[in-house]
Amino acid sequence: MSLHKDEAFVLFKRAYGESDKIIRLFTRTSGKIAAIAKGASKSQKRFMNTLEPFNYIRIEYFEKSGKGMARLENADIIETNSGIEASLQKACTASFFTEFVDRLTKEKEPHEPLFLALKEVLFAVKRHMFSYADILYYQFLMLDMLGYMPNFDSCVYCASTIPNEKKVLFSKERGGILCVNCARFIPHTVCGEGVIPGLMSIINQEKQFANIIFERQAQDIMEGFMSFHLDVEFRSYRLLKSFIL
Amino acid sequence: MFYPEPIERLIENLTRLPGIGRKTATRLAFFLLNTKDSYITELSRSLTDVKEKIRLCSVCFNITDSDPCAICRDERRDKSVVCVVEESSHMMVIESSNPGHLRYHVLHGVINPLEGIGPDEIRIKELQDRIVREGIREVIVATNPNIEGNTTAHYIGEILKHLDVTITRIASGIPVGGDIVYIDPLTIKSSMDNRKNL
Ligand SMILES: [Zn+2]
Ligand SMILES: [Zn+2]
Repeated sequence: MSLHKDEAFVLFKRAYGESDKIIRLFTRTSGKIAAIAKGASKSQKRFMNTLEPFNYIRIEYFEKSGKGMARLENADIIETNSGIEASLQKACTASFFTEFVDRLTKEKEPHEPLFLALKEVLFAVKRHMFSYADILYYQFLMLDMLGYMPNFDSCVYCASTIPNEKKVLFSKERGGILCVNCARFIPHTVCGEGVIPGLMSIINQEKQFANIIFERQAQDIMEGFMSFHLDVEFRSYRLLKSFIL
Repeated sequence: MFYPEPIERLIENLTRLPGIGRKTATRLAFFLLNTKDSYITELSRSLTDVKEKIRLCSVCFNITDSDPCAICRDERRDKSVVCVVEESSHMMVIESSNPGHLRYHVLHGVINPLEGIGPDEIRIKELQDRIVREGIREVIVATNPNIEGNTTAHYIGEILKHLDVTITRIASGIPVGGDIVYIDPLTIKSSMDNRKNL
């Protein structure tokens, strides 16, 4: 057993038995870890209110060699989740990205850029209300980091370049846009002109969405892509969706 | 080696209770086997009664064996105030601290997007309806002071904003008999924010 010191975000907590808590943390140097916090539900002294979702904490934990949960020894607050509770939209946004990191990462796979992205999202959510474009921006940022970025540049099948005004055919299965030729034999959806370039400008932080029809089509593309490639249903998404459109 | 089938079945059923392993279940089974018939009859009746007779009060959603529940029927309680709690067990704790005064509303949960629980999954709409129907003037939100409880409290505040009703939140701070030296910074901050005139 060795003692580790790290920083982490609390992804998930659950009471375990009478007095313990099971938590999942996304640490800066070791990626996601599952840990047990002995006595966390009973004694206020040891962990106080540090183990709440979205909290940014400093931790000390013991890791057993081989499999099994780490044992959390100490936790101190660096920054609390305070501000996220201020509106349901904020709580849903924070939940969505936290779930995103929780469900798309494996335990003990270090990923510092993703840690920093989560930090940026959670801090930004406290400061302002996210638009759908903001949500998409961070969603693409994280997808890119995890190697799931859809291809909006050239035809995913034949790699031919497609001018912006012809970027209207999207294959969720192939994970990107198609040229007219390849679209003849590959299943796809047709979206309005400007939707794909719109998504690209969000990735490049150039501009916000122009209108709601646009947003809806972008949402369809993203939902189709995410559900096909990630094979994960986000619990927080249904609620978040009721706020963003 | 196995016990006769009826005993095995009892042990099996007892192990489904939380915190009961096979060893404890076996001990309980043999206790029941050797106990008086009258106790067994009473025990089995209370088990079926709890399922058959207990339901939710149609007014406050507290668990009850009569509808409306005894608290909602109690005419001496202040009709203009309702105290909102997460669970029936929380209501019992608040009631025992100040018996016979408040009326309650049990949400049966808290908003928790991480678990996919939104306002529609708990009894918030029913609270809104009650406030209008019963002419309630003050809503005391007594959810836990954690992220889910606070999110729920803010949401309740938000949806009741347009109604002519005062919304208050229970204070959080240093516990009675506590020592400042041992209190975490967050709780200290909260108790400072919630300070009151002497
Ligand atoms: Zn092609
Ligand atoms: Zn009642």
